Amino acid sequence: MSYRIPIGPYHPALEEPYKIDLVCEGETILETELKVGFNFRGIEYLAEQRNYIQDITLLERICGICSNVHTLSFCRAVETLAGITPPDRAQYIRVVIAELERLHSHLLWAGIAAELIGFQTMFMTCFALREKVMDLLEATSGNRVNYAMNCIGGVNRDISDPEGILNGVNALEKEIVRIVIPIFTTDRTVQARCAGVGLMTKEQALAWGAVGPTARASGLAQDIRKAAPYAAYDRLDFSVPVDSTGDVRARLVVRALEIVESCRLLRQALRDLPGGAWRGPGFMEVPAGEAASRIEAPRGEVFYHVTSDGSEIPHRVRVRTPTFANMPTVCLMLKNATLADAPLIQASIDPCYSCTDR
Amino acid sequence: MDFNIIPVELGLSQSWEKHADGLWLAVPDLDVEKVVAWMIAHQARFVTITARPAAGRECRMEYHWDIEGQLLTFVTQTHEGSIASISALCPAADWVEREVHDYFAVDFLGRKNILPLMLRPNDRPGVFSPDEGKKS
Repeated sequence: MSYRIPIGPYHPALEEPYKIDLVCEGETILETELKVGFNFRGIEYLAEQRNYIQDITLLERICGICSNVHTLSFCRAVETLAGITPPDRAQYIRVVIAELERLHSHLLWAGIAAELIGFQTMFMTCFALREKVMDLLEATSGNRVNYAMNCIGGVNRDISDPEGILNGVNALEKEIVRIVIPIFTTDRTVQARCAGVGLMTKEQALAWGAVGPTARASGLAQDIRKAAPYAAYDRLDFSVPVDSTGDVRARLVVRALEIVESCRLLRQALRDLPGGAWRGPGFMEVPAGEAASRIEAPRGEVFYHVTSDGSEIPHRVRVRTPTFANMPTVCLMLKNATLADAPLIQASIDPCYSCTDR
Repeated sequence: MDFNIIPVELGLSQSWEKHADGLWLAVPDLDVEKVVAWMIAHQARFVTITARPAAGRECRMEYHWDIEGQLLTFVTQTHEGSIASISALCPAADWVEREVHDYFAVDFLGRKNILPLMLRPNDRPGVFSPDEGKKS
């Protein structure tokens, strides 16, 4: 006899609200139903009531983890509409902030995954390492969460001490390579807990529109930084880790290797930081038209589409976040999984409901 | 890939417009199901739909796809507030159609149901529609 287990919308596995109903036969999950929208704030609508400058502040608050990608996507779309090209130094600074954000996001996720695996000491190690990234972000921007770095035409602040950040990144990478990577890629407990769990094939990932590390862990080699480069990514050398196994372990490995690639990108961007201005002369007006912008956020592709009617207020702002694309795939991953694996499987996509609900 | 073959193989007389962000194709009476079938057969990734209010109860509908990193956007419009659903062919579109229904009350023809996604069951769809403020 099957039975239904309702989880959420408020529960201990995540601090964000969503509801997941599991229909089980014994310990086996047969069906999953997801409900989101508990954090719905109508941010797309609100962005159509404010001017372009106010919107940067609003959109940065879509997410507390990947706040930077929202302002970067929005500013890029507006820059396309207004025909603005930010100076080179700004493009490199945008990469630095984006990769620091990816680092802290991946380390936060690694900590949560470690906790769900039952590896408490690893949780504390990951959070301690993440704290060092937050210190670097604070030293660079003055803020720990909403960095307020992006503006239309460049960035709001220069990086005055690239050497200091570089030293911090190097020290951090040593610790990550020494502790985090070996545990997530080879540790037997992690393997036993994650291998073969929460499977999603490459075909399923494509059909369901998965993005980011979730897609790459199912063999889909897609990364907007490579496929449609923005900022200074086309001038930097980096790899996109892909694993075709499609299980929770593959999602761990892909993110762990991405941490190393982020450090590599940061080293190059800080070393090659060009001189000159970090923001343009500002913008006078946004002509009528429309433009899309895509960014590779820590969780995958963020899509923005901005329509202008020539006034100071955008006519339409469309935001599609990576968790919005990835979350429905959890239903596939949970099918025929055991109930005990459900928390780890749903966490393996690194969900963000604040982003999803907007 | 030669993207010019897409409108030809879809039997469309229109051709791509090159924008800074990708290629755009505007077809007022686009057969969205036919487009989806072609895109899926060619390993395209569905990105999302952007809906925007147009005259009356119509919406301009933009279907965004990705092939090999190239953003492809098909632009069409609803007719009497409706358009064919693509979610049966493209599961990735399921949540997006529900969201567009929540925001602009667009009816997606051919769906078995359209449960609210961001709204709650008894909420009236169309919360982002320009006339919504006048109703309450």
